Order: sequence, then structure tokens, then C-alpha cells
Amino acid sequence: MTTPTSTSTAARAAAIVSQYFSAPIASLEATALLLGTELAASGNLGPLSSQQIDALVEPHALATVALPDVHIYGAGFIATVGLLTDERNHLSWWQGDDPKRLLLAAQSVNKEHIDYSELEWFRVPMETGRGHVAGPYVDYLCSDEYTITIAAPVHIDGTFVGVAGLDLLIDSVERQLLPKLAELGDKVTLVNSVGRVVISTDPRHATGDAVRGGALAELERTECEGVALEIIAE
Amino acid sequence: MHSTDSAETPRNSAAVADDAARSRDAARPGRLQGSLFQSIGDAGRAELVERRLASAITGGHLRAGERLPSENDLARSFGVAPTTVRESLLALRSQGLVVTRRGRNGGSFVADSADPVAHARTALAATSRVALRDLGAHYAAITAACVRLAARRAVPSEVQQVRSRLARLDESDLEQWRSTLDDAQIELVALSQSARLTREQMRLQAEMSPMLRLIDVDETSRQAQPALLASVVDAVEAGDDHEAVAATERMVDAVINALIDLQSQSR
Repeated sequence: MTTPTSTSTAARAAAIVSQYFSAPIASLEATALLLGTELAASGNLGPLSSQQIDALVEPHALATVALPDVHIYGAGFIATVGLLTDERNHLSWWQGDDPKRLLLAAQSVNKEHIDYSELEWFRVPMETGRGHVAGPYVDYLCSDEYTITIAAPVHIDGTFVGVAGLDLLIDSVERQLLPKLAELGDKVTLVNSVGRVVISTDPRHATGDAVRGGALAELERTECEGVALEIIAE
Repeated sequence: MHSTDSAETPRNSAAVADDAARSRDAARPGRLQGSLFQSIGDAGRAELVERRLASAITGGHLRAGERLPSENDLARSFGVAPTTVRESLLALRSQGLVVTRRGRNGGSFVADSADPVAHARTALAATSRVALRDLGAHYAAITAACVRLAARRAVPSEVQQVRSRLARLDESDLEQWRSTLDDAQIELVALSQSARLTREQMRLQAEMSPMLRLIDVDETSRQAQPALLASVVDAVEAGDDHEAVAATERMVDAVINALIDLQSQSR
């Protein structure tokens, strides 16, 4: 069973993880609130176009991507279908080290026509009205990389109009968070809410693997406050 | 110096022979060097942009009448100068793939006459049977690798998402039908958790998709495809990686055979 050592290791690891995600989550929630207010003000003047949305979203997205300490790959706003006058599916999204607005044209299979309302990072905030951490998953819409997306719903006068989101590449999370967890000395594995390995100080536990059926499945999980991830300490 | 010399004394003759063989190998160009020094072509940047946009249009990923992003947006996105984009748009106009309208709501649009199915028909007729089989082999290899991993890694709720997408297939709109099926395929392989494999699958899907529209018009082959994909989904959900691979191979075989049948009918 759980020893006192691993309990305290798990608690310390969970605190490190919560700390790492706290600034991006706080920034995103502030953005979602502000955007709701700004959209409501613009909407009063008439129906919104994709250009107007982009102009509103860009400063928030660029500020989010520029946050210190946590490497954020992309950020922006995805309007619900039918909000805009000129485009059915519009992604107002900036990404990359020198952030540029994402153009979906001509990159791959029908990206323009992907129905994102079914995708977890859009669907869960839409259905629950609350922020959500999705992934890790292969983000074939925006980053094309193995990604965690943090998303928060945007409302105008209580009506859901879309999702503000940000992407963290697992590659960056590994580079930034793993050394901090490794300092604890014990084997520590970060898993998401469906039991998928995000990163682990034990090189045998591969990112993306499911813990079910393996040695980790039976061990106690410690929740990370403020973010839907869990720590398993061995 | 002396200690180094004495450390080397016990080396036996086999090790020396091994070293000699290794230095001979180093002197010979490796097998991979052949591909390293293959021609990269001398296409200019405008031509590369033109080719990218042309294949998106003929592949049906940009639809007839659809507005292209602005020249400046395209330039930023492709990482080229706006004049380069202008040059490539000029070439696309002369091919009849793009039209430009002036005025307040102006810009570049995909020509109304750009018909991906017609392009796919020409492409299929111009493709040899051996190339089609090879495309099938590549597609099957990537998809099989993805679903093998997905079967080990996916959780039931994620597989359920793919299933509910398949449940929305609607035969009354064949364009929508194909794009839903493509999306379901990509969503399934993304459950592998491998970004590289998923990107490769998307590239292959984009290549295959216009040709698949040609066989979608045939009711028998249209109805066979969701059923074949559903059996891959079932195997992934059951965590049965061997069956997921076998079902993938059955699915790709059926598709390639249908394409080859169609090709031989029209020859």
C-alpha cells in the first residue's frame, strides 16, 4: 500500500503540476470573460464578421502565447457554428514561436470542414459551461502535434458563443515540467482523467500509454488542484 | 603514453579484423546516401505555392466558389513574399482554377468550374495499376500501424466518438458523406496518440479522398465502406490489435479493388 514517503512525494508533485498550469488557466479564464464582454459590445452594433472577431481576439491570443515560464504553442477563440456572418467554421487562432494566424487552407484533409463541435475541447465547455483540460491528444486541427488543450466557454449574456483556448505541446510540458518532477527523486507519473500517461519520470512509462492493465493501474492517484490531472507516485 | 600502449596490447586479431571491416564500410557510401542526394528539383517558390494550392483545389479540399485567404495572409502562412503569392495566383488563374474579383467583396476565389471529381477521374485514368496497388500498400501500412497503437491506447469513450460520427453518415449528400467518412478515419487513427503517424495518414487521406469519391457513387461499394471501417472501430474498442490490423487490410483491399475495377471498366 501507500507509504508515507510516496504520499508526500505525490502531494509535492501534484503541487508542482498545479503551479505549472495555474498561470495559463488563469489567463485563459480572464480572456474568456473579457471576450464575452467585448463580443457583446461589438455584437450590439450588428452581426459579426470573421475579420471583426480576429481583431478582437488577436491581442488576447498574442498575450497568452507570450506568457512567461510556460511555453504556450497557440491560443485563440473558436466561434460556435453560425455566430459569424461570413464563415461557418472560423478559427481565430494564433500559433508558433513567431505567432501567426492559422490558415487552414490546403494543409490536409478538409480541415476547413471538420466539425469541431464534436471535439472534446469544444464539446465539454459547451455542454458543461465550465473550463476543461483536453488531452493529451493528437491535435489534427491546429497544432498537428501531441497536445494538451485548455479551453473555457465564452458567453454573451449567458448564451454560449464559443470557446477560448490554448495549446501546450507535450514536447514543451516534458521539457519544462519533467525536470521539476525528477528533482523529487521518486518515480512520478502524471496521468489525465482517463488514465493516459502525460509524462513520467520513469522512462518505461511512455507518454500516450494507458495505465489500465499495467503496474500503475492499482496505485493510488493524487489529484492536482485546479487542473484535471493526477499524480501516481511509485 | 605507456599505459595507453599496454591497454591496447591484449586486443585479439578478431577485433582488428572487425575494425578493418568497419573502416571499409565507412569508406563506402551508405545505402541511405542515395536518397540523401536525390534531386530536390528546381521549382521556384511561386511554383511550390501554386502546386500546393492547385492540389488543394483539384483534391476538393478547397471547394468551388470558396474564397481564398488574402494574398498577405497566404504569404505569411507559406512563409514567402506577397509577390511570390501573386505570381502563383496568376498561374492558377491561367489554369482556370482561380478567379479574381475586384471591389469591396473582392479577392481570389476557387473557380466555379473547378470540379474535383472530374480531376479525380483524369487522375485515376492516368494512374497505373501498380501505382494504385502501391498506394494501397502505403495506406494500409500507416493505417495498420495507427490502429494497432489505438487498440492498445484508446479508451472506450474516445472510440464512441468515432462511432457517433459514423452514425451521422448521410447518403443524400455524397460530398458530406465522404468528408464525414474521412473525418472518422482520421479521428480513429489519432487515437494512436502518434502525431507523426496521424500526419502521414492525413496526407494519404487527402491523396485518396478524391479518388474515393469516384467509387462512392456506386451503392454497393459505398455501403461496404462504413461497415468495413466499423469493424476496425470494433476491434480498436475491444483492444484487439491483431483484429484491428486484419480489418484494416480487408478495408483497404476492398477500396483498392473497387478503384481498379472502375479503372478497367473505363478503359
